[in-house]
Amino acid sequence: MGSNTTEAHPIIANRMKKAAKQGLKIIVIDPRKTDMAKISHRHLPIEVGSDIALINSIIHVILREKLYDQKWVAHHTDNVRELAIQVEAFTPEYAEAITGISAEDIVATAREYATASRGMIAYTLGITEHHCGVNNVLDIANLALLSGHIGKEGTGIMPLRGQNNVQGAGDMGCLPNMLTGAVSISNDHYRNRFENYWGVEIPSNIGDTQTRTFEKMENGEIKALFVIGENPLVADVHLNHTRKLFDKLELLVVQDIFLTETAKVADVVLPAKSWGEVEGTYINTDRRVQRVRKAVDAHPSTKEDWEILCDLSNIMGYEMKYSNSKEIWDEIRLLAWEQYGGISYERLEACYSIHYPCPSEDHPGTKVLHEHFHQDANSNSEKRKFVPVTYTPPIEQPDKDFPFILTTGRRYESYNTHTQTRYYASGIKIKQKEETVDIHPNDADRLNIEDGEMVEVSSRRGNLQVKAKITEQVAPGLVFMSFHWIEVPTNVLTINEYDPISGTAEFKACAVAIKRL
Amino acid sequence: MVNQIKTICGYCGTGCGLIVEVENNIINKIRGDKEAPVNKGQTCVKGAFAFEYVHSKNRLTTPLIRKQGVLVESSWEEALTLIGENLQKIKEKWMPNAISMFACARSTNESNYITQKFMRAVIGSNNIDGCNRT
Repeated sequence: MGSNTTEAHPIIANRMKKAAKQGLKIIVIDPRKTDMAKISHRHLPIEVGSDIALINSIIHVILREKLYDQKWVAHHTDNVRELAIQVEAFTPEYAEAITGISAEDIVATAREYATASRGMIAYTLGITEHHCGVNNVLDIANLALLSGHIGKEGTGIMPLRGQNNVQGAGDMGCLPNMLTGAVSISNDHYRNRFENYWGVEIPSNIGDTQTRTFEKMENGEIKALFVIGENPLVADVHLNHTRKLFDKLELLVVQDIFLTETAKVADVVLPAKSWGEVEGTYINTDRRVQRVRKAVDAHPSTKEDWEILCDLSNIMGYEMKYSNSKEIWDEIRLLAWEQYGGISYERLEACYSIHYPCPSEDHPGTKVLHEHFHQDANSNSEKRKFVPVTYTPPIEQPDKDFPFILTTGRRYESYNTHTQTRYYASGIKIKQKEETVDIHPNDADRLNIEDGEMVEVSSRRGNLQVKAKITEQVAPGLVFMSFHWIEVPTNVLTINEYDPISGTAEFKACAVAIKRL
Repeated sequence: MVNQIKTICGYCGTGCGLIVEVENNIINKIRGDKEAPVNKGQTCVKGAFAFEYVHSKNRLTTPLIRKQGVLVESSWEEALTLIGENLQKIKEKWMPNAISMFACARSTNESNYITQKFMRAVIGSNNIDGCNRT
């Protein structure tokens, strides 16, 4: 769901394609006819932002036709009634009107997923980058739980992670509500463990998300911002607005490997070491801890991220001294032992990767989570809750003035704000060297736009000029752009509406107009 | 002499194992590691070829400080002292929660651990987040 796997996670896509050849049925739910759609058993070209209408309808069919294990569901959950009430209105016919997917396809999908011996749902930002991103994820969880597709190999929910260590950064505690090991900051017992080891008191209140930080920059409550290896000026929605917020800060520090657009407006810029120059570990999308090794010596006046922060910490009167990344990892293993205690550098040398949780050196790691769902059939199982949710349409709908829906994403050869993928090895043939607005042939015909012609794309927040690419990958009425090239700053168009819980912006849907120059 | 270093790809979250070939401190070539459990020798175009940024002449190689509106080169000591003094001042005048930090989802676990430790232990705030929301 909402995953252009071939372009964003090519190696995962290869494995999916290989499995499809061996009989795996892949259902692709995506507004665009991506490469995955071409190899799929069924493609459901969903209207942007109507995921909950579809999932609720699939749940509706599963409940109506009793395609689930009623005994298992009654044993593990206690509110399937609430779920049934929420999805009652979502008949396949009703969902067809919202999602654009035929009632027949919805029924067939429900039957196939529910009755499969094993079913997995993989999703990416097409699910989360909406004002209702959290509800989208909750509804996926409702569906998986109802079908019992959880806690067994080949089942479960797999969010495909976009950055090499986005899993690890969160797991290490770079979240406003979590300490290292993904335990809540408000858990006194767990927080005390860190307070005792660090010798300081840690505030128990939840901190600010990035989204909240931007809001507090606007009203003047945030005075200083320290940004490591990120280019929020280009990456975040409503770019023209973000730029003004940075001007309000008393201190902006940017630690990076390049003078990014965000670094250019900083008060202090610190030169960091990059991938290939550092030692340590990453955690991948399926919880594998793996070793990253230094390949080349960095420029002598650059420093590793942790070195810079330790130096700064020492200047500010709190001593942090480590001689290498292993010492830091061992502190992590000690404090968050339930997750990483058994994952030593030595073990990683020998066995390449270990899935956490792995509490002790003799523990093999945990490949499949939630196995208890299938192990305690006769015991008194802790009841899990469904979280019924309802459908809310994208905040900005197309209208007379802005008749197209713009959805944004990534392209195969480029990566995020393109600070690194500008530098390909010589001789590599790159297919997409600049941004385009991808538009359906019918729309292009109607507007008299030719392939490769410069057009103006505008939203209520900004406008830009870009080449048109005519392609059937998008549906009529839908256009697609990435945000890789600062020359075409797509995020001047996107809307600053956010999911109230996660703070994730609605990158996937806003209304735009397109005209010839 | 060509050195071969085993590591993990720095782009997406798949976690492909790579073998990096290095000669005279320059990365010559990257190929998929056949022993890697995730990718079993495969790589995509980014993992195999988009590595020249490491050696780019545009890399930052010295701290920069804004003076009279312009970013100028400085020493590490000057840059870190300036940051330390300003953070201390802001912390005392406006409380720790007037400071916020964006961590890096591309950096190692070890660096991310230190990042949140810095924010929680030195600044005294939980205002730490990353790009996992975008």
